[in-house]
Amino acid sequence: MSNAKRYTFTGDSSHRPPDSHDDAPHKAEPYLADPELIEAVNLAIYLRRPLLLEGEAGCGKTRLASAVAYELGLPLYRWNIRSDTKALEGQYTYDAILRLYDVQTKQFDINPPRDPSDVQAYCKLGAIGKAFELVDRPAVVLIDEIDKADQDFPNDLLTVLDQPWSFFIPETNQTIQATPGNEPIVIVTSNKEKGNLPAPFLRRCIYHFVKFPDDPQRLQEIVAQHYRDREAKAQPKSSLITEASKRFLAVRQAKSWVKTPGTSEFLDWVEALQNFAAKPYGLEKLKSEELLPYRDLLFKLRADWQLYGKKA
Amino acid sequence: MSNKFLPKPIVLQLFRRLRVQGFRLGINEYLAALDAIDGGFGASDLASLRQMLTMLWCHSIDEQRQFAKIFTEIPAQSSPIERIDKNDPPVARSQSNSPAKPPEPLPPAHSTTETQSEKSVEPEFSPVPWQSPLLPMDGEDLPELHTYHPLSRRSMAYGWRFLSRKVAVGVPDVLNVTATVQKAARQGFFLAPVYQRRLVNLAKVLILVDRGGSMTPLHRFTRDFVETALLPGVFPEDSVLVGYFHNFPTDYLYEDERLTMPRVAAELLAECDAETSVLIVSDAGAARGFRRMERIRKTTDFLVKLKRQSNLICWLNPLPIERWQGSSAEVIAYLVQMEQMNADGLGNAIDVVRGQTVDGISRRVA
Repeated sequence: MSNAKRYTFTGDSSHRPPDSHDDAPHKAEPYLADPELIEAVNLAIYLRRPLLLEGEAGCGKTRLASAVAYELGLPLYRWNIRSDTKALEGQYTYDAILRLYDVQTKQFDINPPRDPSDVQAYCKLGAIGKAFELVDRPAVVLIDEIDKADQDFPNDLLTVLDQPWSFFIPETNQTIQATPGNEPIVIVTSNKEKGNLPAPFLRRCIYHFVKFPDDPQRLQEIVAQHYRDREAKAQPKSSLITEASKRFLAVRQAKSWVKTPGTSEFLDWVEALQNFAAKPYGLEKLKSEELLPYRDLLFKLRADWQLYGKKA
Repeated sequence: MSNKFLPKPIVLQLFRRLRVQGFRLGINEYLAALDAIDGGFGASDLASLRQMLTMLWCHSIDEQRQFAKIFTEIPAQSSPIERIDKNDPPVARSQSNSPAKPPEPLPPAHSTTETQSEKSVEPEFSPVPWQSPLLPMDGEDLPELHTYHPLSRRSMAYGWRFLSRKVAVGVPDVLNVTATVQKAARQGFFLAPVYQRRLVNLAKVLILVDRGGSMTPLHRFTRDFVETALLPGVFPEDSVLVGYFHNFPTDYLYEDERLTMPRVAAELLAECDAETSVLIVSDAGAARGFRRMERIRKTTDFLVKLKRQSNLICWLNPLPIERWQGSSAEVIAYLVQMEQMNADGLGNAIDVVRGQTVDGISRRVA
């Protein structure tokens, strides 16, 4: 690890190196990371331990991975977890049926698309497999919503995401190993929807709880960052953002919502205020109105929706 | 003030202290922390050290809160600023040797999380789909509530998976890829795919739960126990029977946990067959420590009836084994295999009700 290049995340997308990898995100990710989160990312990069992000939905857990990959110019391999995802899928998948099919059609097809005697053609690497194969630099692997998977899933991953950072493919008789010093940077997100993650997995992870920015100043910075990279869209006036974030935070703190609106809801809502109608929403109108406009964007559950309506 | 800040002794001390406190940290986590310090993380001052260790060693908001508290205690004792002599092991010093400069008081970690949870909430009616509030307060791990925690929900859910009886049933309709490829390779041509019958979990479970009385403080565990068994996908539909009783099972059991819907026990037992796994959750009198003949007799009567249906019976006692001694539980443990309701006990119980013999050692109270 010592002789490899040391990567440091700063939260400033302008630090992107010119020789970034082809699989790296091409669009800058407007992301405003607080210093603690930046420190956590750097610690994870340095120790090459998975960074586990927990927090409310819509607080930018998933976005962080592309921000990191963009700034460091590293490829981003995203692995979305579903309830039936198996740990092996992140390493590789082997398509036996396709191979059987190809064997059968070979005698009729003059130009077969694949040669069935070549087992490699049926073996596809997953997100972790691809990251291990990189030689010249580490990759960022995003394991999104790990809590959606089966209970054993995180434990199955453990053996792969640790020394010696390798796995074996019996079908091709190959061992895929990460280049020492370029082990992948793993970012894991979880909503804790199905209870706690297993203790052995947690022990390996660096844990960070992504908090909602409960500060109007911070919200404004986030909006500014969000619009900076999107020149086509008209940016809302700062007075409108100030008022919007004030009202939004008031709503957030007012009641215990079932699903509290998060950062992504806020950004959608500001966008609607600015660009949905022919002209931006009137500042005075926003100040004076008792109920917020476009509340469809903020409340996604019947209970919240009704509770908010009743409040007025 | 030009003294160098030495984080490593503090790390060692904290590590040992946290392990005592029940943090699940291994030697790898300790080495990782040292590694991080060598890499320049948390090496400059106490605040940055605290931040780094919080990220590395705490895996929930609760643990972060506990850690913050412990952290304020440890450095105050070891006072690293004065300490330059490395040979001196950083053991806790007497309080009289109080540090000349106590570290800046760290803000209690409560402030941020508590504001979220203790936000003033006006009691109000709301439509039904109310969910438990989001993650920050999984208060079950609070140290002050850490009194008795025999079995976590997770280990219950995990335990149930071992109680499955997979049987191949029905028409063969699952493609066996390996066998198909092998057959095609052996014949040299492909004739027909190889199918096999679907494996279906045919396990059947009867859970009998003691409610009320001495079991009241343990309702949380018994509720979790039943809930995890009824989770979709754990057992096939309608294969989990649940009956509730108060103190001891009699001719009448209840269908609901509030004990309002009685049901003739024989009816429920009639639904069981010889393959049904029966788990009884009750303290069997161990909570209050009495030995009552009535309880023992009634329980025996019931067990005799139960054993006509199935012999796969295990009694889960939520109280520790030391408490069975001298109470009715001790006697009942001779009538039926009784296990303490902790992770090991659940594992043994599952083995028993699967029809596997537990290792020769008798776990009954001598």
